[in-house]
Amino acid sequence: MRDKLIFLVLGAVISVLFWIFRVELYEALYSVNGFSDQMYNTGAYGTVAAVTVAMSWGMAAIYYYVINSVKFDRWYHWLAMLGVTAVLTPVVCFIVVSNLLEGFDYGTAVFTFQIYNILFTALTFVIASFSIRWWSSNCRHTPIPQ
Amino acid sequence: MKLFIFAIGGTGSRVLKSMIMLCAAGVRPVDSSGRPLQDLEIVPIIIDPHKSNADLKRTERLLSAYGTIREKLYGKNANAEGFFATKISTLKEVVSSSQVPLDDSFIFNLAAVENYKFRDFISYNTMNEPNQALTSLLFADYQLENKMSIGFVGSPNIGSVALNGVKDSNEFKAFANVFADGDRIFFISSIFGGTGAAGFPIIVKNIRQAKNIDAKNKAFLQRAPIGGLTVLPYFSLMESDDKNDKRIDNADFVVKTQSALEYYNNTLTGNGRNAVNAIFYLGDHGHNAPYAYDPGDKRDQHDPAHLIEMVGAMAPFKFLSLADSELTDLATGDPLPTKAFEYGLEHDTDFVDFSGFGQETRQLIYRPLVKLHLLYIFLRTGLNNIIGQGFTEDSPKITREFLGTQFYRVLTQQFFDSYIEWMTELLHNRRHVNLFNEGEMDMTKAIHKVLTKKSIFGSKKVDNDVFKAEMNKLSRDNNKYGSNPELKLMDLFYTAAEKIITDRYDNIN
Repeated sequence: MRDKLIFLVLGAVISVLFWIFRVELYEALYSVNGFSDQMYNTGAYGTVAAVTVAMSWGMAAIYYYVINSVKFDRWYHWLAMLGVTAVLTPVVCFIVVSNLLEGFDYGTAVFTFQIYNILFTALTFVIASFSIRWWSSNCRHTPIPQ
Repeated sequence: MKLFIFAIGGTGSRVLKSMIMLCAAGVRPVDSSGRPLQDLEIVPIIIDPHKSNADLKRTERLLSAYGTIREKLYGKNANAEGFFATKISTLKEVVSSSQVPLDDSFIFNLAAVENYKFRDFISYNTMNEPNQALTSLLFADYQLENKMSIGFVGSPNIGSVALNGVKDSNEFKAFANVFADGDRIFFISSIFGGTGAAGFPIIVKNIRQAKNIDAKNKAFLQRAPIGGLTVLPYFSLMESDDKNDKRIDNADFVVKTQSALEYYNNTLTGNGRNAVNAIFYLGDHGHNAPYAYDPGDKRDQHDPAHLIEMVGAMAPFKFLSLADSELTDLATGDPLPTKAFEYGLEHDTDFVDFSGFGQETRQLIYRPLVKLHLLYIFLRTGLNNIIGQGFTEDSPKITREFLGTQFYRVLTQQFFDSYIEWMTELLHNRRHVNLFNEGEMDMTKAIHKVLTKKSIFGSKKVDNDVFKAEMNKLSRDNNKYGSNPELKLMDLFYTAAEKIITDRYDNIN
């Protein structure tokens, strides 16, 4: 039980750190003059990071506690869920950022930025999975055994 | 507490086989207040000179498989709950320090009997003429020529002579020495054959007159609570191909039964000090299919399982549920007048399913047998595909190597092959015992005439996934199995089945 709580706390801490260091992390991956400044100035990095973390944890929770089925407990089911999350989250973020940067012509940059965000989405989904899977009755050994 | 069960003759072995099946399913004797008996150990002692008897061999193999499986699950612990919960031991296993050599076997060593023709056993050739004449009056020629390695071929007069020496055997001495206060004795025998009809009263006599034997616990033994299942005719025999071979004749069954009942009435039952404490009469006349003629030397007595044997297997459980005060005068230690029990089905039908039994029987066997049958289906169709997922990954892990262990092989091959053979024989014998639909591997439809409950989407489903999900739940954060994956598998399934039967199947109790 203690080990499982450590994983949960660790996952939460990493996610919070991701949100705190969002600007550095995002700009390290994708930085374009003008676009990055607007992202910073409008607080879009914070929104994107929050949406990414929330959706990753939310989708992981849906997989482990709502779906939570013996019919979907194999690694490839989990991978499919990761894939859905990795597509869905950037789409939502694209819409959110497009709204925030309305009036600017950053359509291509926003799109490219969301392509890079797939990486963070996947990472946060993995972190969320390994934080919360332990209490799932049917999928706690997915994607790999405890 | 130990229950020594003397299973005598072919019927003894067959009833014992049914009893092992019930024990494997988790049927447990309860005390008079309904609580499972604690520290119970059953010690079967099979008495049958016909060692090549197929029924005896099948029972012996089953006992061996049961022992292997149970030891892996619970070790030497007598108290357990679940499949194979009841501890079954050989006489040698319960004799802590035997001064006499014993085989580690469930079969009573009758070497002094089985190697002889009856004529040689009684030294007929060395008798003087008047004794030979008297002996010839008492025994037919075919009885004198009977090789006792095939048993007593329906001749209790042979058995009563041949088995009289049992009291001098090492096994009987060991039994007399290990018998302790609080232990009980149960006999299973038929009354219309040779070995059982003769063996039961003789061994009871030897126990009740134990003061004459050299045993440290003979005082307990003399006053031991004794129960007996006396099986009346429940099958008939086809005529022999050889018209001259009349060693066993259907027509004799009822006459023999009447004579033996009369004898039992005078010596075994009633209110005498030598009487047994409880007797269970069981028989079924008119609802049977004839078996092939076999005195023991034709096809080695390979008889199919029968409803009577299955019902008879419950008699020891009933006997154990009787309180001491119901059997013995606690002030004097003498047996109370014999309690006699009979059995009746709920419906007099040729096809007996669970609803054909009375409520007491249903409560005793329905859930355990359903659990065992579902386990059979799960192991045959589910486990192999589940390994590496869910509960199998919890510690202790059930890996693919598990499927090659001795435990798993004995369980799925030796034991469950015997189980299915038993069920099939019960079904095809008369009366037909139709508890589970033959060959049905869909758990939802497996129990004969028991449907699953209705749900908003139709009927509730029972399949391997339902079991997997329930076992996953039970296994999470469950540390009670240590490093015993065998116990984990069986206990999880047993507990899951309990819930699934309640939640998903119609209640027939």
